[in-house]
Amino acid sequence: MIAERPRRAPAEVVVDGYPRRQPRWIEIATSADHKDVGRVLIAGALGFLFVALVELLLMRLQLAVPENTLLTPVTFNRMLSLYGATAIFFFAIPLALGLFYYVAPLQIGARGTALPRLGQLGLWLYVAGATVLYAGFFFTPPEAGVNPLAPLSELAFLPDNGVDAWTASTGLATLGFVLVAINLVATLHRLRAPGMAWRRLPVFSWAATICSWLLLAIGPVMLAAVAMLLIDRNFDGIFFADGSGGAPLLWAHLSWIFFTGAYMLVLIAALAAIAEIVPVFARRPLSGRGTVIGSLTAIAVIGTLSWMQNMLTAPIGIGWMYFAMAMSLALVVPFGLVIFNLIATIVGGSPRMRAPLLFAAGAISMISIGLAGELEQSMVAVAWRLHNTVDATAATHFALVGGSVFGGFAALHYWYPKLTGRTMGETLARISFWTMIAGTLVAFVPLFLAGSDHGQVVDAYKFFSGTGVSAENLIATIGAFVLALGIVLTLANAIASRNGGARAGHDQWGGDSLEWFTLSPPEPHNFDVLPDVRSERPMRDIRAAIAHATARAEAAPRETQPVA
Amino acid sequence: MTPHSPGTDQIDTLLWIGFVAAAILIVAINGALIYALRRKHAGEPEASEGNAGQRVQLRVGAVLAAFALVVFVLSVIYTDKARETPTTGSAGLAAARSKPLSIEATGQQWLWRYDYPNQSFSYYKLVVPVDTTVELNLVSTDVIHTWDVPQLAGKHDAVPGKVNHVVFRADEEGVFRGQSATFSGQAYGPMRTEVDVVSPEEYEAFVEKQKSEIQEAQDRVVGLIEKGEVP
Repeated sequence: MIAERPRRAPAEVVVDGYPRRQPRWIEIATSADHKDVGRVLIAGALGFLFVALVELLLMRLQLAVPENTLLTPVTFNRMLSLYGATAIFFFAIPLALGLFYYVAPLQIGARGTALPRLGQLGLWLYVAGATVLYAGFFFTPPEAGVNPLAPLSELAFLPDNGVDAWTASTGLATLGFVLVAINLVATLHRLRAPGMAWRRLPVFSWAATICSWLLLAIGPVMLAAVAMLLIDRNFDGIFFADGSGGAPLLWAHLSWIFFTGAYMLVLIAALAAIAEIVPVFARRPLSGRGTVIGSLTAIAVIGTLSWMQNMLTAPIGIGWMYFAMAMSLALVVPFGLVIFNLIATIVGGSPRMRAPLLFAAGAISMISIGLAGELEQSMVAVAWRLHNTVDATAATHFALVGGSVFGGFAALHYWYPKLTGRTMGETLARISFWTMIAGTLVAFVPLFLAGSDHGQVVDAYKFFSGTGVSAENLIATIGAFVLALGIVLTLANAIASRNGGARAGHDQWGGDSLEWFTLSPPEPHNFDVLPDVRSERPMRDIRAAIAHATARAEAAPRETQPVA
Repeated sequence: MTPHSPGTDQIDTLLWIGFVAAAILIVAINGALIYALRRKHAGEPEASEGNAGQRVQLRVGAVLAAFALVVFVLSVIYTDKARETPTTGSAGLAAARSKPLSIEATGQQWLWRYDYPNQSFSYYKLVVPVDTTVELNLVSTDVIHTWDVPQLAGKHDAVPGKVNHVVFRADEEGVFRGQSATFSGQAYGPMRTEVDVVSPEEYEAFVEKQKSEIQEAQDRVVGLIEKGEVP
């Protein structure tokens, strides 16, 4: 035990900080510290969440009434394409990666990362990708859809530069994610504190490992696909051109491998963050820790293997369709086990209903609705009815809003004290949460109906009157605005709390993992003293040791000073 | 929507099975979640460190696996039924008794073209005889499109360089509408199609009329070219 080897206890760890030699923004922009890089990734992701919301609301306004002429078809298609790229490449993935990059090295007791400059390059490639996409916005925005399926994305059908901006942008961002993942893998494998064996690794750091390896598998697939599209469009390539040795479905396979993997990445990150939050707020260790970690790994593998779930209407063999369905349905087991253990942890504990737990519960609920919808979509003959209807939009949005927005906000509220040294306002968090819950349900439940009952198709810039979906779409538009209001409230809360929030202690919530051992926010080297990790809950051991030492000191007050 | 073909009947049934499966998951998870959060707690939580052990994990996993397996088996059964080629009924086209009436459906930005066996064709509107097994061969001349008339058949993609098949047998006369379901560019939104199910006699008359009108139009153009009026 630590008490037997007296060390400086956390309350006494005082470092004055290094003198600032440059303006703050230059310090951040040139810093390779994982905390600065992680913070910029998180802030960038939240900024692009706002941008994606604006694009979504414009599209929902266009679809509020039948045969609306608010947006021209081209403008709608550009909004659609920008929305897809922004939500996936510039919000969902970087938010998960930013949290991993900030938190995981702290959780494993590392004083930094293994390849800090590589992670920094990854961040700047992400910034470059975003710049390319939105610089292109002022010239020729992409208009090939959320997933620019070949051959539509080929030069013959979209001759302006929009698709090239899309390829360059997503290519740069994906390369950035891969570099960040390489650094995370190296750090998690090599820089764990003494005693931090894999079996003691916190679930969120496990998820960082799983997601990084997943990105190392799917990232290069996407890079290959965008490189092929770039060659096709600019150097007379024939990868996706039919009739000259190319195959239009090749793009579909490669891109869906990436998008499906990224979908799983976002859900794994969210569930792992929830698995950190739930035990702390239920005041009870995570139930079935090993099962949860194993299940998250299984989700990464099986989930990515189900990519053809998106191609069940394409001319592929029925055997492959059944394979995709088998993989999708098999996901019920790992997802179910993770959710079972999260709920079992709450049942056995006594929950403190603070904002992180509230958002975590909301995330579980929304993800469950989304994944149940996805389960139905993956049944082959059902996909022949529901594929590419707004029913699919609803399922995907329930799962991704649940994972990225609710799960992301749960993580944000939970680690905000560590990120900034302040806590986020609790009242505003509650108002925001209930607004978001109402908004999500009102925005997406009607789309389930419009899709399954009336077959309304996705991505279309208008729908026709007399097709029986007018009421559903109007309600969905209202819901989208309510959801956006709720999201903006939390974003405002995060901005306002940056300087105005209540000051947070080093261990704001009584967490069990090592990020709560250091200051909030941590100094550049993370830890003055590294504890010996003796269990999977090192902070609990430290608290126990301090309590023990304090009790001893109080028993003999004159002889020794209390350790804490 | 009411199914009007044997295949869509099966799809409809499976849709309901899927709905029930999804509802079970949603209700079970959200019910348990709300119960867990609202439950009154007694005693020190830290004292009750009894994690759900290995055996509980295995049991829950087994239940989930059984659930997935049941859904999988039912899906395969109904998907296979939906894939079966029905035979032309007594009220159907006599010529399609032995093998389905084969029509080529070509997706192109942003219209569907239908080529009938007698070399006639039509755009946007497909005319088929009632109670007759129709096989659509889906092809595309440009980008990927999805042919989707949900009351008659499951949707399938028309991919350039590939042939995909849709089989249906409409059970009553009427007009069935559908919309292309894969984003295909600027005018994707209004890319719709319509299937007119008519009696076999009306179908024969329609394709003959189309054929003669097309022939007439061609003859007229050829005549104009021969007269030198069209350069």
